[in-house]
Amino acid sequence: MAAVEAKGAVTPAQRRASGFTDWLPGQARRRRDLAGTIIATFESWGYGLLDTPLVELLETVAAGIDSDQQAELFRFADSDGAMLALVAERTVSVARVVASHLAGGPYPLRLCYSGPVLRNAALLGGRRREAMQAGCELVGSDSLSADAECIALAACALRESGVHSVQIDVGHADFIPGLLESAGLDSAVQASVLASLARRDLVAVEEALERTDFAGAERRLVLAFPTLRGGPGILEAAAEDVRGERPRRALEQLGLLWDLLVAHGIDDSVQLDLGAVRDWDYYTGPIFEVFARDSGFPLGSGGRYDRLLQRFGLPEPATGFVLHIDRCYDTVSRRGGDAAAASALRIAWNSHAHADALRLASTLRALGVACHCNLTAGDDVTADARVDAGVVRYRKSDEAREASLEEAAADIAGTLG
Amino acid sequence: MSGLRVALPAGVLLDDACDLLGAAGVARIDPRRFDDALMIQDQHNVYIKVRPTDVPVYVEMGAGDCGIVGKDVLWETQRELYELVDLRFGSCRLVLAAPSGSPLAYGEAVSPLRVATKYPRSARRFFAERAQPVELIRLHGSVELAPATGLADAVLDITATGRTLRANNLVEVAQANVSTARFVANQAALKTRTELIGAVATALRRAAEARPASQGAA
Repeated sequence: MAAVEAKGAVTPAQRRASGFTDWLPGQARRRRDLAGTIIATFESWGYGLLDTPLVELLETVAAGIDSDQQAELFRFADSDGAMLALVAERTVSVARVVASHLAGGPYPLRLCYSGPVLRNAALLGGRRREAMQAGCELVGSDSLSADAECIALAACALRESGVHSVQIDVGHADFIPGLLESAGLDSAVQASVLASLARRDLVAVEEALERTDFAGAERRLVLAFPTLRGGPGILEAAAEDVRGERPRRALEQLGLLWDLLVAHGIDDSVQLDLGAVRDWDYYTGPIFEVFARDSGFPLGSGGRYDRLLQRFGLPEPATGFVLHIDRCYDTVSRRGGDAAAASALRIAWNSHAHADALRLASTLRALGVACHCNLTAGDDVTADARVDAGVVRYRKSDEAREASLEEAAADIAGTLG
Repeated sequence: MSGLRVALPAGVLLDDACDLLGAAGVARIDPRRFDDALMIQDQHNVYIKVRPTDVPVYVEMGAGDCGIVGKDVLWETQRELYELVDLRFGSCRLVLAAPSGSPLAYGEAVSPLRVATKYPRSARRFFAERAQPVELIRLHGSVELAPATGLADAVLDITATGRTLRANNLVEVAQANVSTARFVANQAALKTRTELIGAVATALRRAAEARPASQGAA
């Protein structure tokens, strides 16, 4: 990355909205390529690309995020008084489209998307207000095969885009709520424990449980929750301590899901996590988060959300996930360094050879070589190729060469015999 | 595999934090070594000393895998990190205090109430829970001066021993919250380095539970 240089005062016209980023040539290309690779992977698994608008009705956007995040929406009014918001995530948009245009199926529907999402987050927190996300939604199947497919696809897409040492944490949104309910805790305590878990505040969980008679093995499970992670062995260990039917069903589903992940061949990058913490109201079944050693934030997350489509009038089960392209970009570029700006071959031409230069350029582009012509005539010795009276002078393999247009193009593109 | 990067808070909690790391058998760090270097490496981990309010920033962003920080700092941040263990030292209380002899000190309602504080988020929550109309004034230090100079009717501030309050002729009107030091961890680090962080958390918990509760300064 170029050093920070003083370039004099920024004029008012040059200012940019705070919290947003300009992606310069090279960076922008690499970021687009990353998104392209991810979308191409999604499509190769049969997921159809869906584009939805950057703006939705406020009530639509609000259906997909919790109340803290709702306070961080960019919102504004339409000319007819409707409240609008810039999308903060895109699953609700997909849900709206499915319920309105694709409700007839055929199910299961496999859809994917990529695009920016925006949050009016506090400044100086180290968080960008605009982020690129790509994701998949698999609608109309309540089978664990669908959950396993999403997890395997997320892993595959990250691998294809060059993110290494991916670790996927798989849990179940119903395990801890079920454990608390089946232990007979009163609903206020259950709510406070779940709220504390969602805030990741385990000290508060402990305090809330201390005031109850919630005792024994199940209490130990909840308190040990950050370390309830590992292979399928932890499911058996937990099953010995769990009596309630709801948490046992969650354990059973995780066991079956594990077998499917083994079949997908990705079990070496999966950890089962009984303490997985997510938005309890939104997710209804298996949930997962994707981490890499180089990133302090999850690179992606997902899970089963069987109640969301109901809000749009379509009672279909669904599962899906989102990948944070910019966090992936940060992870990949931190390791590999920033991509240089795309270099294009530059063609100079003498006064009567403009048409020849343009023809050489279009021939080269057809052969896959990025290039551009000087905008004015002149024998420019710094150019990569110089055209004069039907002859091209250029350098290749450290030697000066001279050839006709067609031969030179083929030689430069490396397609010569 | 490399060790953890642990963020420690500069200031009143630093000595106790180093003591506890020693008692837990995690690391022997003489806090005076931080006078010369902000980063100390032992054979396992790297320890960095940062301002207390910066600990959650380092840990959330992953520049620290874990850290030690007062709960009072966490009240004021909205950072996504795991709060794993109550370390039981550095205990202090967030209290509403008013000049002795003032109506508020006698339990009379004052409305609208003007309160100076370094803890605006906690203050907003405290007064919202009591449906008390309030004008909050955010200060960055020496909050005790605000009532004496007529800037505010009361302060919402941290006290450990009550000495500073008494020295400024302030009496406690209500307790808003209690704080102790916490062991916190980055969400990705907790998931990708569970064993390392879990071992430190367990050792710190045992050591904290074995020690008598201590009081912070001031």
